[in-house]
Amino acid sequence: MLRHLFTLIWNRKRANFLLITEIFLAFVILFVVGSTLVYSQQNYRTPLGFDYEQVWQVDLDPGMQPRAQRAATQRQVIQRLKSLPGVRFVARSSSNTPFSGNSNRSDLRRTKESGGAYVNGNFYYVEDAMRDVLAPHLIEGRWFDKRDDASTRQPVIITQETREKLFPGESPLGKIIPNGDQEMQVVGVAGTYRASGDLSEPRAAAFLRVSPQDTSFEHLETLLVRVQPGAGAALEKRMTTEILAIGKGWSSNITPLAEQRAAQLKLIVTPLVALVVVCVFLIINVALGLFGVLWQTINQRRTEIGLRRALGASARAISAQIVGEILVVSTFGLALGLLVAAQFPLLGVLGVKTSVYLTAMLLATALIYTLTAVCALYPSWLAAGIHPAVALREE
Amino acid sequence: MLQLTDIEKVYQTKTIETVALNRVNLTINKGEFVSVMGPSGCGKSTLLSIMGLLDEPSGGILELDGRPVKSYSDKELAHLRNQKIGFVFQSYHLINDLSVLDNVELPLLYRAGVGGKERRQRAHAALDKVGLSARTTHFPSQLSGGQRQRVAIARALAGRPEIILADEPTGNLDSVMGEEIMDLLLGLHRHDGTTIVMVTHDEQQAQKTERLIRFFDGSQVA
Repeated sequence: MLRHLFTLIWNRKRANFLLITEIFLAFVILFVVGSTLVYSQQNYRTPLGFDYEQVWQVDLDPGMQPRAQRAATQRQVIQRLKSLPGVRFVARSSSNTPFSGNSNRSDLRRTKESGGAYVNGNFYYVEDAMRDVLAPHLIEGRWFDKRDDASTRQPVIITQETREKLFPGESPLGKIIPNGDQEMQVVGVAGTYRASGDLSEPRAAAFLRVSPQDTSFEHLETLLVRVQPGAGAALEKRMTTEILAIGKGWSSNITPLAEQRAAQLKLIVTPLVALVVVCVFLIINVALGLFGVLWQTINQRRTEIGLRRALGASARAISAQIVGEILVVSTFGLALGLLVAAQFPLLGVLGVKTSVYLTAMLLATALIYTLTAVCALYPSWLAAGIHPAVALREE
Repeated sequence: MLQLTDIEKVYQTKTIETVALNRVNLTINKGEFVSVMGPSGCGKSTLLSIMGLLDEPSGGILELDGRPVKSYSDKELAHLRNQKIGFVFQSYHLINDLSVLDNVELPLLYRAGVGGKERRQRAHAALDKVGLSARTTHFPSQLSGGQRQRVAIARALAGRPEIILADEPTGNLDSVMGEEIMDLLLGLHRHDGTTIVMVTHDEQQAQKTERLIRFFDGSQVA
């Protein structure tokens, strides 16, 4: 029977051309939207790699204060904040803090003697205390500490994505990475660190140590503060007051990272939701179109259905045939769609993992089959109800 | 083989009640070639639909091989139609998008236990019998009226039915082609012993059959 259905649909390919095209286009749309959603969902399920709860970001603006005085004022501010009840840890950071949307990207390249492998990653300048503030997950080696004060090389902690690119199959600990006219030495490996947010892909990154003796202010004007659970507006107000009291003409902006995360998620999820809504409307349109075409087809094929009944098809067999036919039509459309979709993983388009495309293909295929089968149910029921004696007398 | 006892068929609408068959009593014996004649609207086709299990009588008993068919389910009726009955229609009712061979295979598609190879063999054999073995890959639109009716007969034969019900099989054909089809049916009857019930308007063709039944206003008159 399956061969018969394929023969029938193939011989009616001209009549089914528009239907096949519609299913092909619906599949492509579902594949694109599906890939986006699967990609986002996979990223969302990946751990961020740090603890953002009870962490506040303090952006400092020194106003018109002379540059030479800024670092000293900042140190006073830090000391004062550390002494406040409710504040647990304070650390300076470059401005590419979690959920900020900022980045500081650069190439990490091994020496030519070591193969010259390189990766473009985000550089996070952090103090030793960042371990206590954000609690990044360390999987090998150690976090920065006083031992690094005496180091003649820039201590660096790379993430596991950086490690996979630069040091495949070997331990990176103690290895040297050139950095302009200086050298960096790997002291630890951190797990995935996705400061770019919940829906961002795990990418290569490196933490570079800011020594306590470092007196530069530029690029380190952001503080990350871990507060006690339950700390709220009162502490925020107190911190602002203290900062303004120490830094004359300074201003500050304090934002909990949890709030920044929610705002960023809203910003990213809104267009995704819009995309899904548009997609749903398109699919409803396709479904209505399919339903209408099938309904009309049944009316045009009453004699054929009557004949099949006369030749021994039961009502159920007729119903199954109508559903089977639309599934075969779908298979033709899907075959074309899968041919196009397969180019994405084969050509490595957008650098997205193959599993994302494969999952999206599976989902889109299942959805199209389900949709077409559901659309065929009522017309197939109508077809099954056609009275053979009446249908054979029509024409 | 087929026994009709007090068969009635009434078509009812909100305002009109039309009696298509009125207490018809008829027996079709195995191996008979029976023709049914009568003016248009006298109930001939309705009779054939009922005998072919395509329609239910409003009253009376229809027995097939000594068993009343009223109690059969839709699935069982479909099975009986497939196994025991072959249909030939005035307007052929071939599926235009299927080749001649695929059209002839059609009844075997609904028969469990018949594989693709056997289907092909039986369809080829049936087409051979009607002299169309050279046209298997043609489509109905590429055939003449007479050839199309031959395909329809081959389709009826492919299922090896016990009875063929032919509803004005020569009605759409010119006299020459009509004769050809009639000769084919007579040959099937004589050589293979096929039971045939044929509705016709053609007195000459009807006279060639073993028994002629006349209908008028839903009743058997001769």
